[in-house]
Amino acid sequence: VRDLCATAVDAATGAGAEYADARVVLKRNQLIATKNGRVERLIDAETEGIGVRVLVDGAWGFACDRRLTDVGATDAALRACSFARAAAGFHSRRLAPVEPHTGTHRSPVRHDPFEVSLSEKAEHCLRADAALAAPDVLVRQAMVRAQREHKLLLTSEGTEVEQVLTECGAGLDCSAARDGVFQTRSYPSAHVGSSRQSGWEYVQELDLVGEAPRVAEQAAALVRAEQCPSGVTTVVLDADQVAQQVHESVGHPTELDRVYGTEASYGGTSFLKPGDLGSLRYGSEKMNVTADPTTSGGLGTFAFDDEGVPALRMPIVETGRLTAFLTSRETAARIGVGKGGSMRADNWSRMPLVRMTNLHLEPGEGTLEDLLSDVVDGIYMETNRSWSIDDKRLNFQFGTQIAWEIKNGRLGRMLRDATYTGITPVFWGGLDAVAGPESWRLLGMTNCGKGQPGQSAHVSHGAAPARFRNVQVGVSA
Amino acid sequence: VNGLDLARAALAAVDGEAEVVAHAERSGLARFAGSEVHQPTLIEDLVVTLRVVRDSRSGAATTNKVDEDGLAELARRATEVAASAPPDEAFPGLAPPGDPPSVEGFDEPTAELRPEDHARLAAAAIEAAGDVPVYGFFTSGVSELAIASTTGLAVEQRMTDATAVVVAADEEHSGYAEQTAWRAHDVDPAAVAREAVEKAVRTAGATGIEPGSYRAVLEGYAFADLIGYFSHDSFGGLGLLEERSYLSGRIGEQVFDEKIAIADDALDPRGLPKAFDYEGTPKKRVQLVEGGVARGVVWDRKTAAQSADDAATTGHASPPEMRDWGPIPYALSIAPGEAGSVDELAELVGDGIYVTRLHYLGVVHPREGLITGMTRDGTFRIRDGKIAEPLMNLRFTVAVPEVLREVYGLTHRVSLVNAQDFYAERYPHGVLAPAIATARFTVTGVGSKPGI
Repeated sequence: VRDLCATAVDAATGAGAEYADARVVLKRNQLIATKNGRVERLIDAETEGIGVRVLVDGAWGFACDRRLTDVGATDAALRACSFARAAAGFHSRRLAPVEPHTGTHRSPVRHDPFEVSLSEKAEHCLRADAALAAPDVLVRQAMVRAQREHKLLLTSEGTEVEQVLTECGAGLDCSAARDGVFQTRSYPSAHVGSSRQSGWEYVQELDLVGEAPRVAEQAAALVRAEQCPSGVTTVVLDADQVAQQVHESVGHPTELDRVYGTEASYGGTSFLKPGDLGSLRYGSEKMNVTADPTTSGGLGTFAFDDEGVPALRMPIVETGRLTAFLTSRETAARIGVGKGGSMRADNWSRMPLVRMTNLHLEPGEGTLEDLLSDVVDGIYMETNRSWSIDDKRLNFQFGTQIAWEIKNGRLGRMLRDATYTGITPVFWGGLDAVAGPESWRLLGMTNCGKGQPGQSAHVSHGAAPARFRNVQVGVSA
Repeated sequence: VNGLDLARAALAAVDGEAEVVAHAERSGLARFAGSEVHQPTLIEDLVVTLRVVRDSRSGAATTNKVDEDGLAELARRATEVAASAPPDEAFPGLAPPGDPPSVEGFDEPTAELRPEDHARLAAAAIEAAGDVPVYGFFTSGVSELAIASTTGLAVEQRMTDATAVVVAADEEHSGYAEQTAWRAHDVDPAAVAREAVEKAVRTAGATGIEPGSYRAVLEGYAFADLIGYFSHDSFGGLGLLEERSYLSGRIGEQVFDEKIAIADDALDPRGLPKAFDYEGTPKKRVQLVEGGVARGVVWDRKTAAQSADDAATTGHASPPEMRDWGPIPYALSIAPGEAGSVDELAELVGDGIYVTRLHYLGVVHPREGLITGMTRDGTFRIRDGKIAEPLMNLRFTVAVPEVLREVYGLTHRVSLVNAQDFYAERYPHGVLAPAIATARFTVTGVGSKPGI
């Protein structure tokens, strides 16, 4: 495989590329999902191929081929060069200089998820599925997933890195319906459960069977709950919803390619400008956000990104002030700060893009109860259900699966269909407390979309419950 | 490699009952930003999925290694997966051989487009925009879907598609346009760019608006997006079975304005035609809403077997990555009205808002058809029956059934709006949609001004 990468890079430079990289990826996925006591999906998928990225006269080109042969590698390289040469524009793309690196990295795994038999995985799901049974529960679902990505990157500058990243995850969903009211409850999150770079031990830690009765009970209770009222109030969000909020309103807007407009035709741009670096007030002094591709177990954890830049932990927002962007070598060169480190491709058939790695809201102090205790009248919301944010990542609206009113520092009645809306820096400006490290959780999502053609990144967010003042809740048609 | 030959070869590698889906893609996408191509991507892939059935146990394995060894390994893995599955007495079995209709949807010149052509067609959009920076892409591709099974089913279809998307934008302006067709010849990137620029230049100086319910004109781009999102929960058999669908308990009832008729019609040559679904079942037209009355939903074999109403598959089994959603109407077709233009719709509205395009939709409540999102790249006030001053991007939260409850009119012209984001295997699909004038579109907030 190393020789194939070298063949591709040589072919590209021989065809006039001033820079080339070749990335071979071998990926295997297993997904087991059950629904209402039946195995719904039982899939073992593998894919392999080579992607070649070139700079020719300052213009990018990318082509890929599923054939891991000299012919496939050479074809991809030459087609990438042809595409770059034909590309419209007055390109002068430069890359921030990076020392060539060689190295290997492998996710630490105690219990290889691919050594757990498919039948054991199916039985695990079926046990959890059965434990979701409750009155009014119509749909019970459980899933486990595993992924191994083995990739080798070789560049014309001499970088050669090999990484094996193993992921594992699981989750529950159940839906209840009664008198025309339909409600869903999930654990540990609504986005295909939660995953980590880990072995089967993470699935066991999640304890789907143990959590299922609570999840089902809450789903059944929700169809009888009252609707979340409208108004401006104090909101306390659980770690899952904080993670979603960080993802959408901090992660995406700090991707520097979005700031420069290259995602404008799909995901959108950013309210941030390059000149905001170091000066923009993003939120309150309680707001500290860190990009950390070195986080143990994170889905965005690696030793090198897909440009071969070494992983680097980096504060993005410190005490409410914007301190860094997520960058590629190209965007780092353009802004004149850093050297990249956030370039990721979701497969061999896609060009790397600036993506979140692991992006965390740093913990504060105290517990959820401490956060609630300072609220006379407010809403506590758990588990993301819906999400939408504008093209500049300013105006957002989120919904959660479940909520409770907060009265005089204590949780009161359960509420359904809770939503809240806001403007990013105003909302983060209202952050007045983040719970402490004991409440901080690492959640991994596998559905972060970006790019044309589209790519789904796997990213993790660490978060603890957080309290926000003066939030508009209860948006309805 | 011929898809059906490959599917048969994979079938031959396994003993007993099995089904093979082979999907090939060759595509190019020239993505541009700031009037320069910056993400040019050429893709060649071939994915084979083998489903093995042992008694009532079934499981699937997928690979893109399609030589003899690769297929033998695929057979071994798929057999192991099936053996790992518990028995499922409700498994409906593999699809029987059918007789797929003859459809259009393949164009040789489109299939033959090369990287230089993708770059040239992207350049045509860039040049036509003149001084206005443009962001978007031109893409075309050829896909082949072949399905064979031990029931004797053996079907294949080659499909082409082409799309040009342009956002014309600077700091204070933005406009949007797109064209999609199965013949690249029918997509004019320069015209798309001109439409986007024409829209953009009218958006300077946008102002806000008070939240509330407005009469509105939604262009085909916006209307297609809204109905597409609504359809995932409400027009599929799984949503109906799980009571997520707005149509749950409402089949046969008047649910929308009588001007609303919606079908799924993969046979329509104006769309992106399909002859069969991912189970090999022949496609057929399914009337979902007629005269505002809910008529039915689409089904695949699994959901039809679970239906209490003896439903039969309508040929709507989804691609593998979308199976969690159950059967999906991938060829929505909204019947046109009589309005000659969007200006006529604005006259019908009198006082309201005009929406070109939507952004980042989210389903707030599936059963109620409640969807939120933003308007983008061309939102305007309608005053005195005319499209008037530009508005900032608006957050809306609408119950789709309310949007469709009272309809002033729809345009006679219907556009094919692309609905694929090219995430997984290329499966061209879109929505045939007119523009619509509605009595209710609920604005719940104000975002930023147009522009990047």
